Amino acid sequence: MDWEAIKKVTGILFDYLPNTLKLFTITLLFSIPVGMLVTMLKKCRFKPVAWLTNLYILIMRGTPLMLQIIAIYYAVPMLKANFASGSDGFFASFVNSIDTRSDSYMFTALCVAFVLNYAAYFAEIFRGGVDSIPKGQYEAASMLGMTKMQTFIRIILPQVTKRVVPATANEVITLVKDTSLANVIAYAEITMKAKQQMNTYSSIIPLFIAGLFYFVLNAIVTVIFSLIEKKFNYYK
Amino acid sequence: MAILEVKNIAKSFDGNQVLKDISFNVEQGQVVAIIGPSGSGKSTLLRCINQLEKADGGEICVDGTRMFYTDSERNKVVYASKQELRDIRLKIGLVFQNFNLFPHFNVMHNITEAPVHVLKKSKEDAEKQAMELLEKMGLTGKEKAYPCELSGGQQQRVSIARALALKPQILFFDEPTSALDPELTGEILKVIKELAKEKMTMVIVTHEMAFARDVANHVIFMDEGYIVEEGSPDELFGNTQNDRTKQFLARFKD
Repeated sequence: MDWEAIKKVTGILFDYLPNTLKLFTITLLFSIPVGMLVTMLKKCRFKPVAWLTNLYILIMRGTPLMLQIIAIYYAVPMLKANFASGSDGFFASFVNSIDTRSDSYMFTALCVAFVLNYAAYFAEIFRGGVDSIPKGQYEAASMLGMTKMQTFIRIILPQVTKRVVPATANEVITLVKDTSLANVIAYAEITMKAKQQMNTYSSIIPLFIAGLFYFVLNAIVTVIFSLIEKKFNYYK
Repeated sequence: MAILEVKNIAKSFDGNQVLKDISFNVEQGQVVAIIGPSGSGKSTLLRCINQLEKADGGEICVDGTRMFYTDSERNKVVYASKQELRDIRLKIGLVFQNFNLFPHFNVMHNITEAPVHVLKKSKEDAEKQAMELLEKMGLTGKEKAYPCELSGGQQQRVSIARALALKPQILFFDEPTSALDPELTGEILKVIKELAKEKMTMVIVTHEMAFARDVANHVIFMDEGYIVEEGSPDELFGNTQNDRTKQFLARFKD
C-alpha cells in the first residue's frame, strides 16, 4: 500500500468512526444505570429476585458477547417466522410489527446486547464497591439519625463512586474494543470497514490503522479516567 | 427519675449468650464507667442501648420513653414506634472505638451534616455551633481538614464534636481510647473530663482503669454477661469484697 492508499483508507475509517462511537456512547450511557439497578436487584431481600439476578449475571458473564449479539439479533426474525401462521397475541403482534431489515433494528439489537452484557459487569463492580464500605459508616449515620435513603445518597454512594473508578475505567476501555464485535452482524463500524479495505488492497495495513483508532480512543479514555481519579484524591 | 433504665437485658449471638441479665440505671449528670475483661459483653450492651443490635429480652427506657420491652406472654421483644425510636436516637450519642468519621467530608461537614440534614438547622447556625464545638475540642483551625489528615486523637475529638452537635442527653463511648496510643489517650480523657464538669451524662466502656477511677462517679464491673459489682469508684477500686473484681483489678496494679 502506498501513502495515498493509506490516507484514503484512514479517511474511510474516519467516516465510520461515528458508528463505533454511537454504539460506545449508548452502551455506556445505559449500562451504568442498568448496572446500578441490577446491583439493587441482587441485594433484594426477596430471595427469588436475587437468584434470578444472579442467573442473569452468570449467563451474561459466562457466555461470549459475540454469541449474545448474534442470538439477540436473530431472535426477532426467528420469532417472526414462528408467529407467521396467524397467531395474534399482544406479544406476537409486537414482534411482527418490528421491521428486522431496517438499520435501526440492527442498531437497537446491538445496543440491547451490549447494555445487557455490560450492565452485568458494572453490577458486579458496584456490588463490590458497596460491600467494601465499612459497616461503621452505616452505624455512624444511623446514630446521627439519618434515614436509610440519606445514608445511601450522602454517605455510601460518594464513597462507592471513588472506589469503583479504577475498575470502571477497565470496563470502559474494554468496551471501546468490544464495539468491534458488532461487525459479526455486519454493523458498519471501523473493524468491519477495515476488513473490507483489507480485501480491497490485499494488505493488512487497514487493520493496523483500525487498531490505531482504538488505541487513540483508549488513550483519551485513560486520560479522562485519571482526571476523574485525581478529582477524588482529596481524601483517602 | 433515671434518664436511662436498663432492665434484664439478654442477648446472644448464634447460641452464644453474651448478655445474660443486665440491669442498671443512669441518673442525670452521672458519669458511668463500664469495665470488665474482653468478651464480657460491654460493647454489646452499649450497642443494644444504641439500637445497633436488637436485644433478645429485657426493657430499656430513655428519658421516660420506653425503647422496647419484653412481652412475657409471647416471649417477644416489642419495640416502640419508628417515630419514638427516632426521637430516642436523637437523645443519645455514640462515640465509636474507631471513630467512623465520614472520610469524604471535611471536619466541618462531618459535624454539620446531621444538624443540617436531620435537625434541618440552617447551615450558618450549624457552622457557628460547630466552630464552638471545635474550639472546645481544641481543634480550631482544623475545620477544613479531612479525617485522613488528622491524628487518631484529633479524629476521635472530631467524632465527639459530631455527636455533641445533636445535643444528646446521654453520650455513650465505646472504648474511645482503644485505637489510640497512650499520648493521644490523654487528649480524649481531657475532653471527657471537661464534659463531666459540664454535667454531661456519659456512659463509657473503657479499659482505662485510671480514667474510670478519675472521672466516673459510678463504676460497673461486668463479666461473662452479668454485672458482677457496681458502685462508686472508691468502693470498687478501693475495697471491693468481690473476689472476681479483685482478681480483675489486680492485673492493673503496678
